[in-house]
Amino acid sequence: MSKWLWFRRGYRDRELDEEIRAHLAMATRDRIERGEDPRAAEAAARREFGNRTLVAETTREMWGWSSLERLWRDVCYALRGLRRSPGFTAVTLLLLALGIGANTAIFSLVNTLMLRRLPVEHPEQFVEPLHRFQDEPHFNTFSWRQYQYFLAHNHVFSALTGMSGINYDFGSFFHVRDRGPEAERVNGTCVTGNFFPMLGVKPALGRLFGPEDDRLSAPVPVAVVSWSYWKDRFNLDHAIVGKRIVVDGFPVTIAGVAARGFRGLILDNPQDMWLPEAMLPSLVPGGSLEKNGNVMLVGRLKPGVGIGQARAEMAVLFRQAVAEQPAGREKMFLSAMQFEMESASAGLSVARDQFARPLILLMGLVALLLLLACANVAGMLAARAAARQRELALRISLGADRWRLARQALTESLLLSGAGTLLGVGVAYLGVIALLRIVASGRDRLQIHPVPDAHVLLFTAGLALLTGLLFGIWPVLHACGTAPAAALREAGKGGDTRFRRHFGKALVTAQVALSVGLLSVASMFILHLSSIYAGLGFERDHVLLATLDPSRTGYSRAQLARPYQEILERLRALPQVRSATLSGTTPVLGAGANRDATVEGYQDKPGELRYLAENWVAPKYFETFGTPLLRGRDFTLQDEGGPRVAIVNQAMVRHYFGDGDPLGKHVKFDGDPKPYEIVGVVGDAKYIDPRETPGRIIYFNAFQEGRLFSRFSMRTRGAPAAVAGDFRRIATGVLKNAAVERITTLEDQVDANLVPERLIVTLSGLFGALGALLAAIGTYGLLAYSVARRSNEIGIRMALGATRRGIARMVLGESLGTTCTGLVIGAPLAYWARRAAAGLVPDLPVKGAAAIVFSAIMMILVALLAAYIPARRATRVDPMEALRYE
Amino acid sequence: MATPMVTRDGYKNRIELLQGTLDMLILQTLSWGPEHGYGVGQAIRSGSGEVLQVETGSLYPALHRLEKQGWIRSEWRASEHNQRAKYYQLTAAGKRQLASEQSRWNQLSAAIASLMNPSESEGQA
Repeated sequence: MSKWLWFRRGYRDRELDEEIRAHLAMATRDRIERGEDPRAAEAAARREFGNRTLVAETTREMWGWSSLERLWRDVCYALRGLRRSPGFTAVTLLLLALGIGANTAIFSLVNTLMLRRLPVEHPEQFVEPLHRFQDEPHFNTFSWRQYQYFLAHNHVFSALTGMSGINYDFGSFFHVRDRGPEAERVNGTCVTGNFFPMLGVKPALGRLFGPEDDRLSAPVPVAVVSWSYWKDRFNLDHAIVGKRIVVDGFPVTIAGVAARGFRGLILDNPQDMWLPEAMLPSLVPGGSLEKNGNVMLVGRLKPGVGIGQARAEMAVLFRQAVAEQPAGREKMFLSAMQFEMESASAGLSVARDQFARPLILLMGLVALLLLLACANVAGMLAARAAARQRELALRISLGADRWRLARQALTESLLLSGAGTLLGVGVAYLGVIALLRIVASGRDRLQIHPVPDAHVLLFTAGLALLTGLLFGIWPVLHACGTAPAAALREAGKGGDTRFRRHFGKALVTAQVALSVGLLSVASMFILHLSSIYAGLGFERDHVLLATLDPSRTGYSRAQLARPYQEILERLRALPQVRSATLSGTTPVLGAGANRDATVEGYQDKPGELRYLAENWVAPKYFETFGTPLLRGRDFTLQDEGGPRVAIVNQAMVRHYFGDGDPLGKHVKFDGDPKPYEIVGVVGDAKYIDPRETPGRIIYFNAFQEGRLFSRFSMRTRGAPAAVAGDFRRIATGVLKNAAVERITTLEDQVDANLVPERLIVTLSGLFGALGALLAAIGTYGLLAYSVARRSNEIGIRMALGATRRGIARMVLGESLGTTCTGLVIGAPLAYWARRAAAGLVPDLPVKGAAAIVFSAIMMILVALLAAYIPARRATRVDPMEALRYE
Repeated sequence: MATPMVTRDGYKNRIELLQGTLDMLILQTLSWGPEHGYGVGQAIRSGSGEVLQVETGSLYPALHRLEKQGWIRSEWRASEHNQRAKYYQLTAAGKRQLASEQSRWNQLSAAIASLMNPSESEGQA
């Protein structure tokens, strides 16, 4: 822009010059034509013209400054000022970038999970029914029977649609085969016939199926795909309509493509394919809707019906449906359930259920941080303004327009906030990636895409403007309120020092208090996490987990023993693999089946829970996972054909045998005549939740009874992911049609269960550090200002015999005083913050003051560090110079 | 400022009055056709029988001001002696402005005339 403006101005200058020269030339020629001597003519023309520079000057004044040029001059002026103080500029930009970046990052998540409306008709009418056991997370899954009951009896919904998946790995998906033999995973669900009509989604191509296709007696085998699937796989080829594909072994025809942007109702799991619900039994071998048709429900409220009314009616229907249920285990479960209903206008999301409350808390926290950052920047700007008071006063007394000075000050502030915002957007981008990595760890199917939409852009731009005005208003007031005479007389001593000092101290105190709160939360969670990691009962690093899908190999489960043994042997032969095994379940994935058991030598107490969790494992399982074998022996391949053997964990030994010897004792399961002999004891490992107290677990030899599961685990020498390719090659080499389903590391699998803890550690640590940085900058600014102002006083003190050490102690003491006030206020805050944070994760022991003491020490160190430079400067004051200056 | 020799010792409001007048004179001159700055000055001088002599220090600011107001526009052309010169010409807005200034001028000069020569105007009335 500058180039263009200056180019324009320069061009006009040259043009004016040429215009004047032409004038002179023509005047001279006229005179010559009238018979004057050429040289005399030229001189006369010049004389007649008058002062050439003055003429050009007055003419140029007529052009005036366009508002654009004026703005540009202000911007240049501000830039020059900022370039002259690079330290101030850098710190300000850093503060603003972090503050605005954090706000934008958190807001874009809030926006995605809570604010953004689904791209369907009237999403505000959508509600989802939910149920839960007391104190457990709620879920939206209802049986086919319940769904039918709701459909037949409710008066509150204009439509109630159901969705069910057939394969689950966090979200539901289909195995889709096109031409080749390889099946591909495509996210999708079966949905009832009223799904598309209820949502009001239009087809982008072809047609969407409706109730006429979803006939239970004779379903029409059709599929609808998403626009992005059409683009990615078919390159927007119109021939997709009518194309035949195979979905989970069943041939279907693609009927159409849903409108662009529509990816279903589940935010965490954007979908690409929908099939009619009535096809579900065909896709699951031996399936039926009564057995497999668990549905997620979303209802559209009738016009005029509120969510409260709907909740009340549906709660009654829920009870009635349970009452009509035949007696049994399911009825017992359902009777204990509580019914709820929530708005689904932003879509369904497990992540939202989990993170909504923490996100709102975070939003408040980052807003507070930004406010503090603004206050800090305002403080620094005010100090600059105070230093320039003489200059301002001089300019005003020379006739400068006050509004113009104010505008210059404002331009500087907005320039800073604008640049800070641009940097902040970068910070936000990285921040969102980091946050999502934590949230999505171990769940490759979690796909939240916080696209920066109009909401976020508006939010960030508003934030930039607001912060600019917030910290910029001070210098503006300063510019407008300067009384020239007084300021000139004061010779550079700011008039508002007392207020400024109190304001600065309050600011630093608040920052110290906030940082102590955050840091103590962070350190508490770090301690908590490390104790969780220490108590897992297995070693979580260097283990690769891979699951095979053998359903297309044609082997029965028992027939898999040979090929699976071969796979394990080949894996063990790899140099990077220490040991390999397979099992029914792996740590923290969940417990295996439960069966009620009788243990030799133990008398059950009446009413006692008799079940044991069981896991079918191959030899070397314990070695692979690093669970210690405490007594007895591991399983071997020689157990095959011998008497049934089992290994138990310590929790089971404690319960049934106390200090007695479990080896050689027998365990018998209800409904299974042959008992198991205990041959070994292993340490307790956690299977359901890393925070749990481990239950009683019994392990069986998978090869002994041909109960082969397809979860392979390998302990590796290097990075586990490096073995993934070898596994794929070996597995498909031994078993041609086996599909590799899921490859992850044990570390990811554990971390996926600790998302809230890890989020809190990361965020509170990050924001605590940011708060500490703010406090340090605030302390530094305050002391630097006070040392500069008190240089006379310090000089006198030194002249009267104060030592350098004493002066340094005085400055450091001032810093410590402010910090300690902050700590006194911060300690209760820290205590409260820990309780609040503890409410967000289960089983957190809130005790001990170690975390608070640790963060208090941290803050004192920060304060001393920030005070170091001003203190050193104070000791360098030359008494003579300071006195002479007065 | 435009300094007609006859009113060298004028009144306080001379400047405003004359500034408007100079603008009107320039517009009037240009209504005959495009002209460069020197030509405008010469035309006013000769058209007023050498009474009105416009100083360059008034002429050029006025030309540039009128151009900024959109009443005249300029372009570079060769003059009759093959001298590159900046020619000004009236715009449509300039023509309207000239018309309104003319009628205002007529009113004003009539009013002044009736004040200066009361007998004549009474006689006319």
